[in-house]
Amino acid sequence: MTGGQVKVFGKAIQTLSRVSDELWLDPSEKGLALRSVNSCHSTYGYVLFSSVFFQHYQWSPSATITDSDIPLNLNCKLAIKSILPIFRCLNYLERSIEKCTMVARSDRCRVVIQFFGRHGIKRTHNVYFQDCQPLKILFEKSLCANILMIKPRLLAEAIALLTSNQEEVTFSVTPENFCLKSSSGESLDLTSSVYSEMSFGPEEFDFFQVGLDTEITFCFKELKGILTFSEVMHAPIAIYFDFPGKPVVLSVEDMLLEASFILATLLDYPSRTSSPQSLRLSQARRSDPTLSGAQEGKSRVSQTPESISRAAPKRLFPKDPPDSSSAAETRRASASQDDISEVPESVVSDMEEGQSPSPLRKFSCMFFGAVSCEQQEHANHPLGSLAVASDSEQDASG
Amino acid sequence: MPLLTQYNEDEYEQYCLVASLDNVRNLSTVLKAIHFKEHATCFATKNGIKVTVENAKCVQANAFIQADVFQEFIIQEESVTFRINLTILLDCLSIFGSSPTPGTLTALRMCYQGYGHPLMLFLEEGGVVTVCKITTQEPEDTLDFDFCSTNVMNKIILQSEGLREAFSELDMTGDVLQITVSPDKPYFRLSTFGNAGNSHLDYPKDSDLVEAFHCNKTQINRYKLSLLKPSTKALALSCKVSIRTDNRGFLSLQYMIRNEDGQICFVEYYCCPDEEVPES
Repeated sequence: MTGGQVKVFGKAIQTLSRVSDELWLDPSEKGLALRSVNSCHSTYGYVLFSSVFFQHYQWSPSATITDSDIPLNLNCKLAIKSILPIFRCLNYLERSIEKCTMVARSDRCRVVIQFFGRHGIKRTHNVYFQDCQPLKILFEKSLCANILMIKPRLLAEAIALLTSNQEEVTFSVTPENFCLKSSSGESLDLTSSVYSEMSFGPEEFDFFQVGLDTEITFCFKELKGILTFSEVMHAPIAIYFDFPGKPVVLSVEDMLLEASFILATLLDYPSRTSSPQSLRLSQARRSDPTLSGAQEGKSRVSQTPESISRAAPKRLFPKDPPDSSSAAETRRASASQDDISEVPESVVSDMEEGQSPSPLRKFSCMFFGAVSCEQQEHANHPLGSLAVASDSEQDASG
Repeated sequence: MPLLTQYNEDEYEQYCLVASLDNVRNLSTVLKAIHFKEHATCFATKNGIKVTVENAKCVQANAFIQADVFQEFIIQEESVTFRINLTILLDCLSIFGSSPTPGTLTALRMCYQGYGHPLMLFLEEGGVVTVCKITTQEPEDTLDFDFCSTNVMNKIILQSEGLREAFSELDMTGDVLQITVSPDKPYFRLSTFGNAGNSHLDYPKDSDLVEAFHCNKTQINRYKLSLLKPSTKALALSCKVSIRTDNRGFLSLQYMIRNEDGQICFVEYYCCPDEEVPES
């Protein structure tokens, strides 16, 4: 990589550092992918640098199982706090670095990053990693009803008008209008927040397809990071979404690299009150993991992304008529911030308790629908999970 | 100088040390470079003034202000020594403000009457005169690092620009700095070690940042970063730095600082090595 490429690469790392404290390096024949998912699995970041992004890119399987043709990929998880300082001063790096090389060695569990700068100065960083299966999530964004494409500068200028202490932001769309709002939930406290709203016409967008009038609310912090990254790439940002509770995908594509960020959205509008009855019902549902697991075991891989939603448990009984009225109240109650923060933890812990020890345990929430499939195949074929991932990727590209 | 007209020769007799500067920043800038402890020891001889600061008996900083830097430098005794609160001294030196205003200079006359007397500072700017009296204390014994040039094993002279980069980049990753000097590659290497990795900064000896490279034998030593961090103030002000290590692993950093009038002052840092656990 040259100085300019180091800057783009560093920006990707800085953007992913807002998602999580951990980062996966996932090299493959197509290029080098960086992946990151936050602790409550509500945000997933993915950046793929194609092999032509680099002046020289070499990838080879680290080992091959003799009884199978499937190569073992490098499983490389880094702590963000180890790699982020290396790419901290990006403007300085762009000016002073003539060349950068990255070498990952699976036998020594370390990544060697070398900068060759002016005056012959060479800087070498050895970063150790854990051997850990990279997580992968598949989400068919082209199936979303709403697809928008806009220059990141326009959206960044609008975002700048929101107060910086906003935690969430709302997109509201109709076929004639796009509206950006600060989260209306905070208007309950009139002394501490300013409600802001900005409207755009479809002409501001490079692409504007609204098949479903809707309003989605998601984390503001990640959006700012993604916009900063888009501006560095000088590429328009694409936004894919459906309705509240389904994830929103923010995507940037270039000839050299593509980046996607999948963010959970609030399930419903924040409610002003949450009744004790609704809370009790929520707890009752959470205490029945066996039934939840059984039902979800029948779902297909394509439904996996729904688990990104913060209130995923609330969707476990969509067609249960006797609870329909109280389910509505439960759904509304879950939108409040307290419930949102509680739900993911209990979901993860419930899943972990209900399943046998597994290397994929910590990702059970992310792969909720896929875990059982992989486990079944794992019993038959030792490398079944890799095969499943490989097949799914081909389906996605096809 | 207006200050001069207020005194006559007879008054000089009572002071054993008189030093005058047209621009007080020529002194305060250098003293800030060694300001990492509250107290300093001042030594004055006919050659100038040396100000010494120490920490934990493992690191020592010396600032040398040569007599030529002063417009007036009078010393009645062979040497004058006292201990003083450096924080208060620096506050007094910048009593008219520390930011350089074009065309505005603060003149300084510093007088010391001898043992037990305060250090007198007469500062004048724009016709306003401020008099400060700073209590002096009994000088404490300062370390003699016994850094003889005959024992120096390795010596490198670098443009400060190159070393500033190192300290800004390597600073955050660990608690020790390892210095490797070798006649072969990597010649001059700075290393830090963290929880999840390590970093090395290599300088080739033929780099245009390297003015001199004298090394006969490979030497690897470690130093606590917390002891070296204060020297980054001097590094930021300096244009050149001489890095020397002796046969005991003691580190000497000599910073050449050019003041606003183009004169040269030196700031010197000595540091003891950490327990030796070399790691390439």
